[in-house]
Amino acid sequence: MPDSEWDEMLAVAAGEVLETMFFTAVYGPAQADGPPAEPRVAARLDFEGTPSGALTLSVSEPAARALAANFLASGDEAGPLPVSQLGSVVCELANMICGSLLSHVKIEEHFRLSSPELLPEGAACPPGPPSRSLDVGDGIVDLWLALEHRAN
Amino acid sequence: MAFRVLIVDDSPVMRAFIRRIIVLSGMEGAEFLEAADGRQALDLLRAQWVDVVLTDINMPAMDGEQLLRCLEGDDLLKSVPVVVVSTDGTASRVHQMFSLGARGYVKKPFLPETLREELERVLGGAYAG
Repeated sequence: MPDSEWDEMLAVAAGEVLETMFFTAVYGPAQADGPPAEPRVAARLDFEGTPSGALTLSVSEPAARALAANFLASGDEAGPLPVSQLGSVVCELANMICGSLLSHVKIEEHFRLSSPELLPEGAACPPGPPSRSLDVGDGIVDLWLALEHRAN
Repeated sequence: MAFRVLIVDDSPVMRAFIRRIIVLSGMEGAEFLEAADGRQALDLLRAQWVDVVLTDINMPAMDGEQLLRCLEGDDLLKSVPVVVVSTDGTASRVHQMFSLGARGYVKKPFLPETLREELERVLGGAYAG
């Protein structure tokens, strides 16, 4: 499958997961000249199968807070969620997007996902632009898909 | 009617989400137990009755596949219905889990009603909504 189709499937999988499990609409691709750099919550996981690769997800902190509040049904009255819970939710988001993507591409044999790993604050995301950058209203979700046959 | 669900997932936030979704879906009387992996799940199942197990596949210590094998080999526990809740929706994985004794399969992402329908189907007469 061409790389462009993988990236398109990635956007479809991310949209499906965000809308179904995080009750969050995707408004479309994020603008390249979007808001100034904000703190990020980022996670990465590897997958093994045919093909193997890795998915890195970086979410702006306001968007991560909104996604976590939706996922956990945590209202304003509960106070701000601890950073550790934000990280856990972003890891789960990465896990579901990756699984959904691989299921969408109709891989015949099953695949294995590693446990998502939360990237330390300030850790470098993969070089180059994201495979997909999504506007979720409260911020941006950037996704990098690295397949074994291409370098990202 | 009251029923007891054991949620097996290494992600605490996913366990919390599943609990919430079952409550949101309108299923009344659910009591919840939680385990972070298959080994913890077996310990709980040997200590108390559970009506249905919802398990992830990829977990440390003992994964969902190993859990199903252990349950199938246990005369007391093999009748406890297991529903797999996983991001892996490939046909080969679904077939493998059913062949190991799973009674249901819910692929993430899922709608609340999808989980409810699968639970009602698997619980059968044990749950009369």
